Amino acid sequence: MLKYIFKRVIEIIPILFIITIIIFLFVHLIPGDPARLVAGQDATAQDIANVRKALGLDKPLPIQYVNYLHHIIQGDFGISLKTKEPVSTMIGQRFMPTFWLSVVSMIWSVIVGLLIGVISATKRNKWQDYVGMIVAVSGISLPSFWLGLMLIELCAVDLGWFPTGGLNSWKSYILPSITLGSGIAAVIARFTRSSLMDVLKEDYVRTGRAKGLKERIVIWDHALKNALIPVVTMTGLQFGFLLGGSVVVETVFSWPGLGRLMIDSINFRDYPVIQSEMLLFSLEFLVINLLVDIIYGFLNPQIRYN
Amino acid sequence: MKKTFYGILGFLIVFGLVLAGCSSSKSSTEQSGSDNTKISKVTKKGKDITIAVADNFISLDPHDTNDTLSNSAEKTMYEGLFGFDKDMKIVPLLAESYTANDNATEFTFKLRHGVKFQDGTPFNAEAVKVNIDRLADQNNHLKRNSLFAVVKETKVIDDYTVKVILKEPFGAMINTFAHPAAMMISPAALKKYGKDIARHPVGTGPYEFVEWKPGDHLTVKKNPNYWKNGKPKLDSITFKPVPENGSRIAMLKTGEADFIYPVPTESAKEVNGNNGIVVENNPSIIVRYLSINTMKKPFNDLKVRQAINYAINKEAFVKVVNNGYGSVLDSVIAPNTQFYSKQQVYKYDPEKAKKLLKEAGYPNGFTATLWGGNSSGTTKAMEFIQQQLSLVGIKVNIVPMESGTMSEKIWSVNNPKDAEIELYYGGWSPSTGDADWGIRPLLASESFPPASYNTAYYKNDQADALIKQALQTADPEERKAAYAKVQKIIWDDAPWAFLCVDDTMYGKRDYLKNAYLLPDGSLDVSNAEIQQ
Repeated sequence: MLKYIFKRVIEIIPILFIITIIIFLFVHLIPGDPARLVAGQDATAQDIANVRKALGLDKPLPIQYVNYLHHIIQGDFGISLKTKEPVSTMIGQRFMPTFWLSVVSMIWSVIVGLLIGVISATKRNKWQDYVGMIVAVSGISLPSFWLGLMLIELCAVDLGWFPTGGLNSWKSYILPSITLGSGIAAVIARFTRSSLMDVLKEDYVRTGRAKGLKERIVIWDHALKNALIPVVTMTGLQFGFLLGGSVVVETVFSWPGLGRLMIDSINFRDYPVIQSEMLLFSLEFLVINLLVDIIYGFLNPQIRYN
Repeated sequence: MKKTFYGILGFLIVFGLVLAGCSSSKSSTEQSGSDNTKISKVTKKGKDITIAVADNFISLDPHDTNDTLSNSAEKTMYEGLFGFDKDMKIVPLLAESYTANDNATEFTFKLRHGVKFQDGTPFNAEAVKVNIDRLADQNNHLKRNSLFAVVKETKVIDDYTVKVILKEPFGAMINTFAHPAAMMISPAALKKYGKDIARHPVGTGPYEFVEWKPGDHLTVKKNPNYWKNGKPKLDSITFKPVPENGSRIAMLKTGEADFIYPVPTESAKEVNGNNGIVVENNPSIIVRYLSINTMKKPFNDLKVRQAINYAINKEAFVKVVNNGYGSVLDSVIAPNTQFYSKQQVYKYDPEKAKKLLKEAGYPNGFTATLWGGNSSGTTKAMEFIQQQLSLVGIKVNIVPMESGTMSEKIWSVNNPKDAEIELYYGGWSPSTGDADWGIRPLLASESFPPASYNTAYYKNDQADALIKQALQTADPEERKAAYAKVQKIIWDDAPWAFLCVDDTMYGKRDYLKNAYLLPDGSLDVSNAEIQQ
């Protein structure tokens, strides 16, 4: 198992390298000139030429890429074209808020989603199932900006329980994580339900019941473990996306996270920031995939690779 | 199946009731201002305020800033030799007076005595020279270098007198010194921080820098050694970037913010006057226009351009696009821009428009493309224009683009004949408050893209000559006369459909006095105070 993990970790490096090339090319091929956007509205043609030179954007593309790679290897992720701040600082400052929000959202959406999913699957076609699925469909269908603004109106303005936004205390996490988590809880609920329903049809489940095991143990200890495999994949993917930052939730709740940074950088053609964020994003997915594979191994020993 | 149906129906009914409960309390708020639970009456404790704004600040170095929002934050900590008052008139700040020579090439400033920077460095002519040299030096690659590229040299005459010599006449130079870009930074701080001055502002202003966490908040506190006695009246100001309009209004309602801007026009009526909240709007210097490519058929025909002007109902434009918060544009520049000269508005007359089109040879109209940004306000405006022009037979295809793509399409064109652009919906704010900056970059022939913003590709030799002439002197009377002529020529030539002037809009608690937005959209809290 350990050898497998080690091999996978090493494999990440060449994949990342290829990703840097792809990211670099894509970002630089988008139409739009960052020099003009940085120089601003009042700029003259000479200003823009100055800005272009100062940003190193007048050199040919392959040379820019080599420079870029050279700096990345030394841990220098460049300077933002827009704010002149070091990119690593900018991303560092915004990473933790996004990370913790993702973790909190994930925790409660997994708990709620699993609960609803299990109840729906076990009480199939009874009223609990219908209620559960209606809640799930609503969670997926309700647009997050609407849900967020409604929660702010209700819980922050009307009731005054929570702040309207920003990141000030533990209370700031509640409304945004509910908004973010509702869609994910819904997806987890549906996946759990369908996966568990399939597993409950299996022979070993019938054997367990025939053996006289308590229903609760049959479901939670035996059936669920196997039903969880597709759910774990889905959860991993969702967590990966959350780590990239949700632009909508971050905008509505003025959350100082990576999502808004990404959108602002794209609008501004802030190449160094876009590239570094996308690199981070790719790395997060690679790591999550690895973790998911390891969890598979624990869930179902038959899947362990050697 | 029956069970499912009733189950879903029941759920929807319950959900709907909950929502209805929320919204009905909203309408009762509008009707009875005093009886509502939503907007809390806030009693302010202490003298610290929070201001919620729409975006992050980009920099705190006034010489390297080209967005009004960052300028607003800088203005709490910095001051220039001159500044703008709430009507965009130039007022002395760190300078007491100035004189200019006849052909506007030399400007001499008499400086105020007894002013210190927040780090104790004395403010004097040497400090001014350091600042202007920094701005004028192209090798510093500062964003505001272009405003000072015309400076040849700066001379220290004595401790409180400084002379700025220009390479060529520039009558509007005094406006440049009133612009936020020309605020004075402590020379000692410049030496200490170098390029990092953008994160460590040190000026002469009423508030001094405490901390800045980009994306989260910026805090400034009272400058105890500020040169104006008895000011500032607040202890601290915290700026918070809140991008979503709804969230910003919510902060004002709960009292988490004492001042917010911008206030979306749709929400203004809802909160104004409720339990201590006031929303104020004033004319800005921002003009909105539809530029028409005067070098392309059929737009090269004056009658066609006039027809476009007669076809658009400008009053309705203000009502629909700005929710009434604005005014019809009646010249090339807004009324509170220096040397504005009122023109005769092209009154809404679709019949006349059709007649003109027929005379020009287009009795059945024609097709045209309209380029513009993709924000919701811009899209609304473009759709309005499309609808109005359709009524006279001009079929308009709207092409909303995000800023990067649009700038590529407009500024990658080197030969005007290759320009694809036909109609373009744009806005402009002459941040120096002067007619020159409101006209030359948009309508002088030297400003064809890619040099500048003349998307109408308008070239009129007489206008060009007058624009140049108005810069050759600092005499306000001569400049006024020249610009009056220029505005008439341009108005009659109609390279634009002249649309509207935006209002500045901000919301605040009524206990906060003397905090407002200037017509250029920047914030002025230098005299702000709390009066319960």
